[in-house]
Amino acid sequence: MSVPFLKEAVEAGAPDQLLRFVRLHLGDGNEETGRREIDKSWVEAVKILLQYQPVNEEFIRQVMQQDDSTLALLYFHLHFHLIRKSGEWIHDGSR
Amino acid sequence: MTEAVKSLRQTPLPQDPRETGQQLRPGLWETVNQRYPGSMITKADYVPLARLAKPLSQARVTLISSCGVHAKTDPPMDVCHPFGDFTFRRVPSAARHADLIIHQLKYPHDDADEDINVIFPIERLQELATEGTIGGLTRNFFSFIGYNMDSARFERTVAADIARAVSEEEHADVALLAPA
Repeated sequence: MSVPFLKEAVEAGAPDQLLRFVRLHLGDGNEETGRREIDKSWVEAVKILLQYQPVNEEFIRQVMQQDDSTLALLYFHLHFHLIRKSGEWIHDGSR
Repeated sequence: MTEAVKSLRQTPLPQDPRETGQQLRPGLWETVNQRYPGSMITKADYVPLARLAKPLSQARVTLISSCGVHAKTDPPMDVCHPFGDFTFRRVPSAARHADLIIHQLKYPHDDADEDINVIFPIERLQELATEGTIGGLTRNFFSFIGYNMDSARFERTVAADIARAVSEEEHADVALLAPA
């Protein structure tokens, strides 16, 4: 989906179109796969937290002070980071 | 001159469909449009290929690819951004395969990792320059990530910047475009 298409969806109040775009992106062109990939990254995050390893709260506080654009892009980076950690990589490209 | 180049020179070129304004693979475009509504570039007009102003043996050649290759010493491109990375990398034309790496999410590059020339024929072009089939190579080649959801922004940024660098910095006579 093109960016103009997504902007029209925002103006039309059609978040389902944005969700479809995200699922297609994360699912390598397959919407159902993308849905599973989103679930998989959350499951991986919970599995990691269940280990109760020390966390750097100060780092998180500093990161959360960044601008919204940086944080939104970071959200996508974290998704792929967690997917890599899961060991189940469905994408064609770089592992 | 290699046997492959001799063979290519003896084979008559088919009429380029771009010169008649025809789409090369209209079926593929329809399929992609169904998967990614509104993502494909559609233009009523087209840019005709420029005539070569000098013999190929005197021409300086550059290479432009959407394969996402870059020097290992350069920062990787952003493969996570949902709209694409609006930057490009200069790849030294004297680089060897061992100097380069591919960062991509949307296509398999296992074979290219084995031999970069299958998608970014840098060493083949070096050979053609050495044997004199082409006049030489620009100092740098160019690479970017093909996945992009904002064609208008891409045209204003990456495409315009590469075109400017190719003509004004590298003074290329020929640009070889290699999609990935």
